[in-house]
Amino acid sequence: MRPCGVFDKSYGLDIAIIRTWQHWAILISALILLFLFPLFGSYYIISFMNYLAISVIVGLGLQIVSGYCGQISFGQAAFMAIGAYTSAVLTIKFGFSFWIALPLSGIMAGLVGIIGGAPSLRIKGMYLAMATIAIHFVVIWLILHMEITGSFKGLFPPPPSLGGFEFDTDERMFYIIMTVMVIMTYAARNLVRSKVGRAFVAIRDNDLAGEVMGVNIYHYKSLAFFVSCFYAGIAGSLWGHLITVVNAEQFTLMHALEYIGMLIIGGMGSIPGVFFGVLFIRILNELVMFTSPLLAKAVPWLGSSPAAALGLVAFGLALIIFLIFEPRGLAHRWEIFKASYRLYPFAY
Amino acid sequence: MIEFLQQAITGMMIGSLYALVAAAIVLVYKATHVVSLAHGQLVAFGALFFWLFIGGLGLPFWVGIFPAFILTALIGLLIERLTLRPLIGQPLIAAFLMTFAIFLVLEGVFVLYLKGETRTLPAFLPEGNLDISGISVPINQLIGFLAALFLFAALSLIFKYTKIGLGMRATAEDHRLAQGTGITVRNIFSYIWVLSAIVAVVAGIATANVMDIYYMLPYIGISGLIVAICGGLDSLLGALVVGLLLGVVENVGAAYLDPLVGGGVKDVAAYVVLLLVLLIRPYGLFGLVRIERI
Repeated sequence: MRPCGVFDKSYGLDIAIIRTWQHWAILISALILLFLFPLFGSYYIISFMNYLAISVIVGLGLQIVSGYCGQISFGQAAFMAIGAYTSAVLTIKFGFSFWIALPLSGIMAGLVGIIGGAPSLRIKGMYLAMATIAIHFVVIWLILHMEITGSFKGLFPPPPSLGGFEFDTDERMFYIIMTVMVIMTYAARNLVRSKVGRAFVAIRDNDLAGEVMGVNIYHYKSLAFFVSCFYAGIAGSLWGHLITVVNAEQFTLMHALEYIGMLIIGGMGSIPGVFFGVLFIRILNELVMFTSPLLAKAVPWLGSSPAAALGLVAFGLALIIFLIFEPRGLAHRWEIFKASYRLYPFAY
Repeated sequence: MIEFLQQAITGMMIGSLYALVAAAIVLVYKATHVVSLAHGQLVAFGALFFWLFIGGLGLPFWVGIFPAFILTALIGLLIERLTLRPLIGQPLIAAFLMTFAIFLVLEGVFVLYLKGETRTLPAFLPEGNLDISGISVPINQLIGFLAALFLFAALSLIFKYTKIGLGMRATAEDHRLAQGTGITVRNIFSYIWVLSAIVAVVAGIATANVMDIYYMLPYIGISGLIVAICGGLDSLLGALVVGLLLGVVENVGAAYLDPLVGGGVKDVAAYVVLLLVLLIRPYGLFGLVRIERI
């Protein structure tokens, strides 16, 4: 977002993410506003934003493996479950503090992700997508049939605390979740423009050509799965400690499909796209939640509680519309807007 | 031994359902190279339409089955015309994701219609069990099984000997070359979706014959997809063989492993098989190995 006539005068400026003092001002005031938000936001908005931020973290991970590295993964919900359960088991059964369990759960999910991503070394495209669906079901089955994960009852992780201060409400968790989200976004934004990120894009665009150019495909695919599942694990851990109950019901295949839908609508291969996609899907869902009782009253055929089914229909229709008319997602629209703003008084 | 055979035969009967669903998916893949996630819903809608005419309106079997065919074929045609045709020329993964979107929409409509209830087909096939030296086979399931075998034979013959089947195979090989020899590729796409929807209706009726129509029914599409991939996506024979095998593995595995691990083997066996097959033979047991070029 730069107005017409602002140019980069050095290489350092050209590769910077934040280029002008206006950007700094906007960024800093936005961050201050974000962290002051619990003081005046309503409970509903705050818990909704927590949910959004956790979805953004999962979405960022999926963006790295699917959007940048081109390996479509339907297993994100399962890796989130691994993170949530790891964190819960570590805090409940082994008495770890949340602050140690959080990174450990990310690493645990990442390590399982490397195993889960192993099929990607031989297969790709929708074969891999099916393999990740299989991994999802195997992981959830293991969780349901293991002693340590509390089987069908699930686990009840305690809220985190720091020096006697308990983060036991949504408003208090808001600070932890937002801090983690900002750090994770910054890390993702930087990762994808580093050597690693370029290797991912090479694999996505043409893996054979990438291999010929000297990209170690096995290494980078495993790395992509590790990073992606690390994000999912962190998000899962936050989620578990936010709502203080973890069970397999929260991590169904439908959740994993939702994240892929967010990427399609937001735009594959774009970090802002994750934010657009998450906002679009979650707000669409809330709208359906609010309007479905009215619809049910107006059209008795729909039955008493059509919210879940109508949500599916709305989600599917949105996906169809985006796939046909804007396959590059909202992020592409945003790029077009930025480009035209940069040229503003002139036509081109 | 008798018990093992009994479990295997029961599994085979279920497996023939998987094979039918897989056949519908393989048909679409053979001509268009699109892998469909939405076929479970086509199966469910086929069963539902059949129920509407047989159970709801009380029509006799041979009258009720045709409107079910026509309505489901219409859904298949609409899917092809409205959602997949605009994607011609885009990467195949876009079409795969499109079928996933269709999966969501149809799933939503299906759940909306059922509202958490179940529908049971009235018995339209002879009841009773066939007893072969200690192994009992329900006659209605046996009829479904034989119908599946018959359908597979018919499909193979269509692909091998008819002109339209030849056109479909040519289209699968190369769209432009097929167009060059005078085949209307767009029509082939429509035909294949109609044919595939008809197979899905047969699968749906055979499935509803064994279990109730309820909200989990569309998930047989995932089992069908697993079978199609394990058998090799372009092989009807693979779909049949692996479908029957998967039914046997699930049933026998559940019978012998459930006591050891505490139940639930049936839910996960298919996924473990899929992972193993993908790791050992990524193109499926009967699939054509394709060599990639840059």
